Amino acid sequence: MTGKVEFSKVSKSFGAVKALVEFDLSIEEGELVTLLGPSGCGKSTALRVAAGFETPDSGDVSIGGASILAQSANKRGIGMVFQNYSLFPHLTVTQNLEFGMRVRNIAREKRSARVGELLELVRLSGLSDRYPHQISGGQQQRVALARALAVEPRVLLLDEPLSALDATVRIEVREEIRRIQRASGIATIFVTHDQEEALAISDRICVMSNGKIEQVGAPDVVYRSPSTEFVARFVGKVNDIEVEVLSSTKARLRGHKHEIEIVSAGMGGGAGGAAGGGAAGGGAGGGSAVVGGVARLLIRPEDVQIVRPDSARANVRCTVKTIHFGGATTTADVEIDGTTHLVRIADSTRNMQFRVGDAVHIAFDTERALLTRGGAA
Amino acid sequence: MVLFVVFVYYLVPMISMTRFAFQRIPVIKLSLGNLFDKWTIAPLIETFKEPEFRSSGLLSVQLAIATAALTLVLLVPTMAVAHLRSKRMRRIIELSSTLPFVVPAIALVVGFAGAFRETLPILIRSPFGLVPLYVITALPFTHRAIENGLAALDLRTLVDASQSLGATWYRTVVFVIVPNIRASIATAAFLALTVVLGEFTIASLLLKNTLPLYLSYAQGRNPQGAFAVGLVLILISTIFVASSNRLGKVVRT
Repeated sequence: MTGKVEFSKVSKSFGAVKALVEFDLSIEEGELVTLLGPSGCGKSTALRVAAGFETPDSGDVSIGGASILAQSANKRGIGMVFQNYSLFPHLTVTQNLEFGMRVRNIAREKRSARVGELLELVRLSGLSDRYPHQISGGQQQRVALARALAVEPRVLLLDEPLSALDATVRIEVREEIRRIQRASGIATIFVTHDQEEALAISDRICVMSNGKIEQVGAPDVVYRSPSTEFVARFVGKVNDIEVEVLSSTKARLRGHKHEIEIVSAGMGGGAGGAAGGGAAGGGAGGGSAVVGGVARLLIRPEDVQIVRPDSARANVRCTVKTIHFGGATTTADVEIDGTTHLVRIADSTRNMQFRVGDAVHIAFDTERALLTRGGAA
Repeated sequence: MVLFVVFVYYLVPMISMTRFAFQRIPVIKLSLGNLFDKWTIAPLIETFKEPEFRSSGLLSVQLAIATAALTLVLLVPTMAVAHLRSKRMRRIIELSSTLPFVVPAIALVVGFAGAFRETLPILIRSPFGLVPLYVITALPFTHRAIENGLAALDLRTLVDASQSLGATWYRTVVFVIVPNIRASIATAAFLALTVVLGEFTIASLLLKNTLPLYLSYAQGRNPQGAFAVGLVLILISTIFVASSNRLGKVVRT
């Protein structure tokens, strides 16, 4: 039986280090939620608490409404895939897959049938007699996933399962994990520090910092409408531009005449808020950017556009400093004329028809930007 | 050069011992000219026929097996737990394992006898009372062998993986940890066997008739036989060490 997983005010400290602080999160049946954050933010601790490898100082973890904290790790019915290759080196692929079933005294015929299904599921049918050292890293992680599924777990925990793989294999295995997770319909918690991975694989992302949740939401919401400065900076690239808030609708690049419009809605409690009541809500520490005060505009590179010089929005003139060709998308760093401030822009390669040293005009689409209080860090 | 010196240092006495034990030629007449003459295994067979040899040999084999078994039963789970849970515990075990190098056998025996003569006299009376002492004596070697095996594994991940698949701690030790350090376990066992088969001081002080003691006494009345058995013991030890190396290679392949 699978079920909804719930963390209720879970706290865990290691000495003076608070790894988890009143961590609250629920994962619906069939959902894949990613815990995303930098090293040491508590994401693996949350996973290890759920798995039974760590005991929380306070709070509760439940599956299907029943607390699991009293159960030892081997009784929780949780499947786990680890960052390091965790296949038992002395066992073949088949024997690895059978390990959990043997523990449960499942009959040989049933075990063999299940192994066959799982190998087919992870597309490794020809490798059943190989030892872990005889297969690639990507194949090992697929076997590890199949092994975790072999015991028909109630919840699947994936602790940075792709981090040891190279870029190409990583994407391949990532897609495989998602396909298998959807097929199995098991509530899954995926831990990663790679925001691109999190955006690609998740139903929802839980961004964490210093043991606390910064934001939980669908990937596009977290990316487009970050609710805190941390999320804006950690998920995707962001330009950090110091501005003076002139009014509810206008701001000016600090120390410069360029003005930018900040009239917009849905700015993650950011600039839109500024437009509303003379103060930008949200932002770092939930502070506010007061009209007449200094604030920082956090804006994604793709929300900064190159515009024609005669365009009505073309109020900021820049010089192109560097261009980074990235296939379908190209990014460029441009320096606002009269300042030393660099702004990164990203657009389709087709639209980036200029060279280093060219003068361009840019416009800020602040609809999804975040305005936070205070000068630049 | 160093290798050559070591080779000469070890090999020349071996050759001399072999010729003395297995050639029916008086020592004074041994020369290169009669290198291939009058070889025989009669001294060895005669020694094997002696009841004292059989009883002391049997005792030493029993002690060796018991020592190897007790060493592994105590050391493997303890060191696995230390690896998983406490670096401090690992350091304490490591330090303790070197104590036999510092504490002389005579001190160990005096302490042992003083502690258990009244409280647990069976340990002094029974020859198997030697087993705990032998476990301690072999510790510098056995500990290192197990430590190397555990350090080469990602033990934390393997144990977590095993438990997440439903295995108990016992099952994890027996079916996951032990098979993955079997070369180290074999090495530790062989080293324990070798130490016991060659240990003289403790057995002598506690008046137990082990094989090394028999060999020591036999040198007076049957020197050729004693040397022949000594050579066989060296051969057995060499086979043990070679087997553990071979097993290590097989496991790694």
